[in-house]
Amino acid sequence: MASEQDVVARVQHLTVTRLRIWVDQGLIKPTDQAPPNYSEADVARAALIVNLEDELGFAADDVPVLLNLIDQIHGLRSELRGLLEALDDLPPDVRTTVRMRIERRRRG
Amino acid sequence: MAEDLYSVLGVAKTASAADITKAYRKLAKKLHPDLNPGDKAAEEKFKEASQAYSILNDADKRGQYDRGEIDASGQERPQERYYREYAGGPQGARYHSSAGYEDIGAFSDLFGDMFSGGAGARGARGGGGRFAMRGQDAQYRLDISFLDAVNGAKQRITLPDGGTLDVAIPAGVSAGQVLRLKGKGMPGVGEGGPGDALVEIVVRPHPVFTREGKDIVVEVPISLDEAVLGGKIEVPTIGGRVMATVPPGSNTGQTLRLKGRGVQSKAGAGDQLVRLSITLPETIDEDLKSFAEDWRKTHAYDPRGKLKEQV
Repeated sequence: MASEQDVVARVQHLTVTRLRIWVDQGLIKPTDQAPPNYSEADVARAALIVNLEDELGFAADDVPVLLNLIDQIHGLRSELRGLLEALDDLPPDVRTTVRMRIERRRRG
Repeated sequence: MAEDLYSVLGVAKTASAADITKAYRKLAKKLHPDLNPGDKAAEEKFKEASQAYSILNDADKRGQYDRGEIDASGQERPQERYYREYAGGPQGARYHSSAGYEDIGAFSDLFGDMFSGGAGARGARGGGGRFAMRGQDAQYRLDISFLDAVNGAKQRITLPDGGTLDVAIPAGVSAGQVLRLKGKGMPGVGEGGPGDALVEIVVRPHPVFTREGKDIVVEVPISLDEAVLGGKIEVPTIGGRVMATVPPGSNTGQTLRLKGRGVQSKAGAGDQLVRLSITLPETIDEDLKSFAEDWRKTHAYDPRGKLKEQV
């Protein structure tokens, strides 16, 4: 767990002001509020936002949109992984049936 | 590491600093690992592009590289840990968004429940190990009359445990449609909310009316003279009786359309289709018989001409 100061020190080009704005916007969600406590994922997320704004040149207004899409993708990926793992536990003939059904749907 | 940094970014050796930044951003937006989770090839290309940019964007290093003083690998950048490495783990889980699966749920209740259930389970913030699970969905079938389906109604389902569930049936509901009553399913665990009640609608047929989408179809018998001469007839509709005009020379199977007399739903009103059916009197009296005999002598016609052609 990292404090606000730690996060700012660890992520290049990050300032306390920028970090607080993102927390305020709900883009970064530290676990405690007083004082805020940041996980490794929060630190990486802050680095990602810096990267999106500074290096890739996305406007600050666009970043929440991007993060929302990224979060949706990770949400979907984790659901999909769960689904695939659950499928993996099923007997082979059931897995084959599922795969055939999926292929049939793809063909329309 | 690539041989030529300029070709990695796809720019000329004479490119300006602004051109190099522009080319890098274009590539990076396409290849950024957090925008392409799980794509190894994109990640490799992104690293090459970042590497190239870190040298070419620095006027001193670019000069050194151009003069051959440093090679393309230049200074190794500190290993960066991308957000995606955490996104799939427990720390990243609270950022997952599973909003917007409801359309999937409508097609497949199985997957829909799994996904929304997962979202509930993740609702416990902070990853402190607090367990929360959304309640299961409960499934019911509800038999309703044809007219209740058309006009909408309120119905009460008595549950096996003695409780009741009030269901508002929207006007124009169709057979087989499933109504989802939010939060009326089984209770959840912890902060997970209750599941939904899924109510499948079964529509009992009506002796007179049938439905074709938003249109109501009704078959109405007309007499021989009404068919020949035309006239006003009374027609049942779902909203009561109305008068309809039969044009002279109407035939069996011909359809009158009563605009706006069909199913009224949010999506607009359907029509009522009146299928005419010529019906002879139960007993053919002498007058009709002698008229038909005389008429046949001079006006015989072949109603089956088309039928013969088509076979």
